[in-house]
Amino acid sequence: MLTPSDGEVVLAARGVSRRYPLAVPGQALKTTVLHPGQAFAAWRRRQRRELWAVRDVTFEVRRGEFFSIVGANGSGKSTLLRLLAGLSKPTRGTVELHGRVSTLLELGSGFHPQVSGRENVIMNGLLMGRTKREMEALLPAIVEFAGLREFIDQPMRTYSSGMYVRLGFAIAAFMEPEILLVDEVLAVGDAKFQEKCYDHIAKLQAKGVTIVMVSHDLGAVERFSDRAALMERGRMVAIGPPRKVVGLHLERLAETSPEIRQAIEEGMAADEERLRRLLDEDPEWAAAFAAALEGNPAFHEKLRQQQAGQGAKTDARQD
Amino acid sequence: MRNAVELVAALTSRDLRLRYQGSVLGWAWSLARPLALGAVLAFALGRVLGTGVTVEFLLAGLFPWFWFQGAVQGAAGSFIGNGGLLKKVRFPRAVLPASAVLGATLQFGLSLPVLIGFVVWAGNMPTAAWLGLALVFGLQLGLVMGVGLFVASVTVYFRDLEHITDVLLTLLFYATPIIYSVDLVPGEYRWLTYVNPLAPIMEGWRSILLDGALPPAGHLGASAVLTAAALAAGWAVFRRLEDGFADAI
Repeated sequence: MLTPSDGEVVLAARGVSRRYPLAVPGQALKTTVLHPGQAFAAWRRRQRRELWAVRDVTFEVRRGEFFSIVGANGSGKSTLLRLLAGLSKPTRGTVELHGRVSTLLELGSGFHPQVSGRENVIMNGLLMGRTKREMEALLPAIVEFAGLREFIDQPMRTYSSGMYVRLGFAIAAFMEPEILLVDEVLAVGDAKFQEKCYDHIAKLQAKGVTIVMVSHDLGAVERFSDRAALMERGRMVAIGPPRKVVGLHLERLAETSPEIRQAIEEGMAADEERLRRLLDEDPEWAAAFAAALEGNPAFHEKLRQQQAGQGAKTDARQD
Repeated sequence: MRNAVELVAALTSRDLRLRYQGSVLGWAWSLARPLALGAVLAFALGRVLGTGVTVEFLLAGLFPWFWFQGAVQGAAGSFIGNGGLLKKVRFPRAVLPASAVLGATLQFGLSLPVLIGFVVWAGNMPTAAWLGLALVFGLQLGLVMGVGLFVASVTVYFRDLEHITDVLLTLLFYATPIIYSVDLVPGEYRWLTYVNPLAPIMEGWRSILLDGALPPAGHLGASAVLTAAALAAGWAVFRRLEDGFADAI
């Protein structure tokens, strides 16, 4: 296990909860004016409709650790990352960070399509608290990494989405962060660039950079992280070795979705048409499936057993 | 701090460049509104109604007014117009309204030679009192920043304020001595110009440029107190609300 358990704690969440009011259709002005009583009752109802996106999450990450957070859509992992990044304040609990944080929440956030890549790099750096001179010094490395040397002076509206992704990652990665928060962004780039990104993250990690990543790419979570956590309906239900956590995640997915369970029981590919539909409609399932096929031998093994069992049963019935 | 200053400068320069990108006349367009309105009003008020109001009189009010209006409107939309940025990146939020105000101020600064050209052409030579322009300029900048911060912050939670602001700006234009002089306001309504921090500022521009005299110290003092209050209130409201911007937008 790579876990540098001797490193000091650089990121800690203690009892972090975040509540959001749920949007309820507002009252038209007419109702408010003509039926104030009714409008007031509706307002009171609105005050009570709320959602705890993150509930009582407590964990610590040590210097140099690669910590991944997995979970189904809507489980609160992205909200948790936003709380860690300080973009939103916890309703309860505290977040502690020690060190310079660089966040990569969404590619192209802060990019202005009308101005050149060069100007966007500098602007992004300024937004992240750097000076112009520092950014000009970092620029060549960023451009080189993103592979945009001949395009950097073109307006960004001419860039492909892959070029956006590359530039966005290059900026966050070359900011010399001490803590890097990454949300589900690497999935966008092509495989070659993804590989380059994970290589770079590994290099950063070797230099003592702490990484917290939210991802659906379960294969990558298993390959690169030291520890992983599983989020479920706002709670962190498991923290531990990535392989175990990913396995648990897949099991839970199978439990919660009858289609997924059925697909697993039928040997995943038994009904190709249904599988294809699932892959198209449910990105969560697609990611789980991909991970199961590539990166998770344990799951694969289990699947084979299940298939064998299923097969035996079927055979028995046929007999 | 150095970073915040560079950030404001970079945002402002980007916005100004983009605004006039591809237009032939470029920043000269920022002169179009005050000049056109000045010409029309000089005809309507001066000739048709026969009030004897002059072009330079009108322009000395209209140029600073359009600065005020442009800065407040620009600042008002600066948070809701940058929702994506506020949601995804952590940076000092105040740079957005600050850059909107700076942009409008630079445009005003660039149009100032044109205004001064008109003033001199009309026979008003610069005097020592013109140094007082810096004071009036500073007062207006502070007022704009305070009002802008307030409107921008509250608009995030209460979108109607953007439209309310537009209406109020129109009312303010006529309630402030811009196209008429304070002396013409009947005594019983004169108090309106004392509670309006913009009134002494407008009076200041005109009396310095056209009469070569500073406005009464009492007027400027009252405006300074109200401006300081607006700035403090704007900042306090902004600080109180800024933590929720990323979630509310």
